[in-house]
Amino acid sequence: MPNITIIDYGLGNIRSLKNAFEHLGINSALSRDKAVILNSDAIILPGVGAFGHAMDILKEYDLVSTISEFALSGKPLLGICLGMQLLFDESEEFGMTKGLGLIEGRVRKLQNVHKLPHIGWSRLYKNIKSEKTILDGLNDKAEFYFIHTYAVGTDDAYILSSSKYDNAEFCSSVKKDNIYGCQFHPEKSGKFGLKILENFINIAREVKI
Amino acid sequence: MSERLEAYYGLPQEVKFCKKCVISNQRPSSTVEFKNSKENKKEVINFDENGVCSACSYHEEKEKSVNWEEREKKLEELLSKFRRTDGGYDVIIPGSGGKDSAFTAHILKYKYNMNPLTVTWAPHLYTDIGWKNMQEWMHTGGLDNMLYTPNGKLHRLLTKLSFENMLHPFQPFIVGQKIIGPLMAQKFGVKLVMYGENQAEYGNRVDQNTHSVMNPEFFSISDPLEMQFGGVSMSEIIDNYDFTINDFTPYIPPKLESLMESKIEMHYLGYYLQWDPQECYYYAVENTGFQANSERTEGSYSKYSSIDDKIDPFHYFTTLIKFGIGRATYDASQEVRNEKITREEASYLVKKYDTEFPKKFFKEFLDYVSLTEDEFWEIVDKHRSPHIWKKDADEWRLRHSVNNDGYDD
Amino acid sequence: MKKIRVVSRIDIKNEYAIKGIHLEGLRKIGDPNEMALDYYKNGIDEIVLMDAVAALYDRNSLKDVIEKATQDIFIPITVGGGIRLLEDIQDILNAGADKVAINTQAIKDPSFITEASKKFGSQCIVASVVAKQVGENSWEAYVDNAREPTGVDVLEWVKRVEELGAGEIMLTSIDKEGTKRGFDIKLNKAVSELTTLPIISSGGAGSCEDVIELCKSADIDAVALASILHYKISTIDDIKQTLLKNGIEVRADA
Repeated sequence: MPNITIIDYGLGNIRSLKNAFEHLGINSALSRDKAVILNSDAIILPGVGAFGHAMDILKEYDLVSTISEFALSGKPLLGICLGMQLLFDESEEFGMTKGLGLIEGRVRKLQNVHKLPHIGWSRLYKNIKSEKTILDGLNDKAEFYFIHTYAVGTDDAYILSSSKYDNAEFCSSVKKDNIYGCQFHPEKSGKFGLKILENFINIAREVKI
Repeated sequence: MSERLEAYYGLPQEVKFCKKCVISNQRPSSTVEFKNSKENKKEVINFDENGVCSACSYHEEKEKSVNWEEREKKLEELLSKFRRTDGGYDVIIPGSGGKDSAFTAHILKYKYNMNPLTVTWAPHLYTDIGWKNMQEWMHTGGLDNMLYTPNGKLHRLLTKLSFENMLHPFQPFIVGQKIIGPLMAQKFGVKLVMYGENQAEYGNRVDQNTHSVMNPEFFSISDPLEMQFGGVSMSEIIDNYDFTINDFTPYIPPKLESLMESKIEMHYLGYYLQWDPQECYYYAVENTGFQANSERTEGSYSKYSSIDDKIDPFHYFTTLIKFGIGRATYDASQEVRNEKITREEASYLVKKYDTEFPKKFFKEFLDYVSLTEDEFWEIVDKHRSPHIWKKDADEWRLRHSVNNDGYDD
Repeated sequence: MKKIRVVSRIDIKNEYAIKGIHLEGLRKIGDPNEMALDYYKNGIDEIVLMDAVAALYDRNSLKDVIEKATQDIFIPITVGGGIRLLEDIQDILNAGADKVAINTQAIKDPSFITEASKKFGSQCIVASVVAKQVGENSWEAYVDNAREPTGVDVLEWVKRVEELGAGEIMLTSIDKEGTKRGFDIKLNKAVSELTTLPIISSGGAGSCEDVIELCKSADIDAVALASILHYKISTIDDIKQTLLKNGIEVRADA
């Protein structure tokens, strides 16, 4: 079984993530310890709230370099919700704030919508190949739970799926090499969300071998 | 505490609280109100050797030993004796359209196919929600009603006298309310009067519960002129105020002999069906258009218990003054017995609400009994029994409370 | 096409799920965790757990229920009732909930919403607004689980909570709650015209038609169902299918 660490930096519903992994047979660790993280087979970067605030905390806990180092290892990394947004270069929220810069792109407010935040369930429209990614084998009609005001704009080559809300079309999941991101909450998206996490576990297992 | 404090009204010297609910041993039992005067030693709720009150014991006994199927059969037998199918009323149901009478009347008509006439002894001063619920009872509930409103001039005087002399403003109301069932039964040629809840559940002597027929002592009197109102006899009132015996018609009960001749029977539905006041609320909302009050009743946490009379909160305020227990105590104790709340929760509610002063209708009350605020407090303070209250600087404090935070606890 | 979330609202007292009418009455109707799990398995989109007596007893005691719920249920869970301090919110989120619903404390001290949304993110903060009609087109906000009036005008208040930083509004009609006689359409319409925050409508659903009427009359985003599900008047599947048939999009079972 791959050992998976969920980065605990005070933001994001880590309890639900841990419960979800437990449900799938994995006893995940909750940690912000550098050694623990680097030794893991896979890590999750959760996150809820403001981009700038999250980056400040990551810097405070000296996690920026740790995460970057992990990303270079080739082992899988999954950013969820704000965690996905943090993987990118910068965000517009409250003025330009720099992110982790692991994937090229920028975080912008959702445009052409009547209500914000976007709270609800949406389908994923697959873009690049989904085999052997976190979207592997997913029913096209499956819906996932989103709650966000901002979304990522990035290179088409990295967009694993896009989704729709009101008049906006936005990027809902990304992949760059070993780095994954989902704007939605797999731990809150019922059985299909659990499938996403299961796929992630399998990816980790493959890499481990 | 070596000082022996005087206990007014012949109340038990030591203040104790039931181990199961939160009622205290100072709670008076129902009395025959028009024989009630200030000098009477009050009969109070009984506590057994384990410190459990009779209401709780009765309730437990009920839970364990009553066969409700059998009781319902008995009800059906009783009702079939009286049921009419020729257009005449066959049961009188006294009530105000509150949740309990709403339930009683509606279920007897629509489940048990009786033909009830509901009769209401008017509240002193209807609240808006009380009037609305009364109307809904008829219009949505589909029931007939007679609203009987006694002469306001006399009713106010009697209420005033009762308040001043006994701190018991509800006394005249209780007299009328008890009489109206059998009175109307006689007038309409109906032989069955059905009440809702059995008062004994709340603390009267247990033996009053074993028979389902109401105690005839409650509505018989030999000489009306000797009836007491606020401790003053009718003849005295007639002598000192501008009234005659005819003004007292609403309060003079029918003679026991004539009731027995008419073969009128009085029963409690609570004897035949398992009684749950909370479930009465749900039933009333769903069937008779009942609405709870939009805000909590002062002195308690409830929004649906007796909400139709502006004077009602003052009844409970006076029980607080005389017996140290307010509305929250009554409401919470009953909910503990019905397993809606725990004793701990009940104690907390008592702490939070019991001593709250009902200021919303205070002015109306003062107008109703023609007293000034100062006179009001003078009368109230006169009735605080020393064994229950202690004046601490400028504040009156209870010596004992169920939360053990009284002055002497 | 706007998608409506179908949410189940479970009111709780201690270890029991309860159901009142006009938010009054504590009739026990089951085990809250069992009910939540059942609804999750049957396709509900979200669960709201409300402590019905937290304000009454000045305590919050849903921690156990939340922890158990989040172990087996993988859809969003919102928790409300008696949330007074930032620590309360932290505890609830740590237990696995996603959002907190705040009413009484927010009206007492509106800056609480701002503080909370700054610390936890506005998408965690649901402003719970409990409304009673007091005029032709006006409603008064109530607190303490609809026990105490506040004199606050609901339409003014919903504009304010958006400014203060709430991420969502849960709007409950006292007049309709538990009656199964339909939602307060007027209220929902009026509120939806004043805010751009997503709105969860609560109170009154007794049939699929009630839900359809609401969705077609007011720009709301989610319906909170209680009596209709708890008393098994309708199933989640029936409700969703009926909505779809009537042109209202919902999360369907793939």
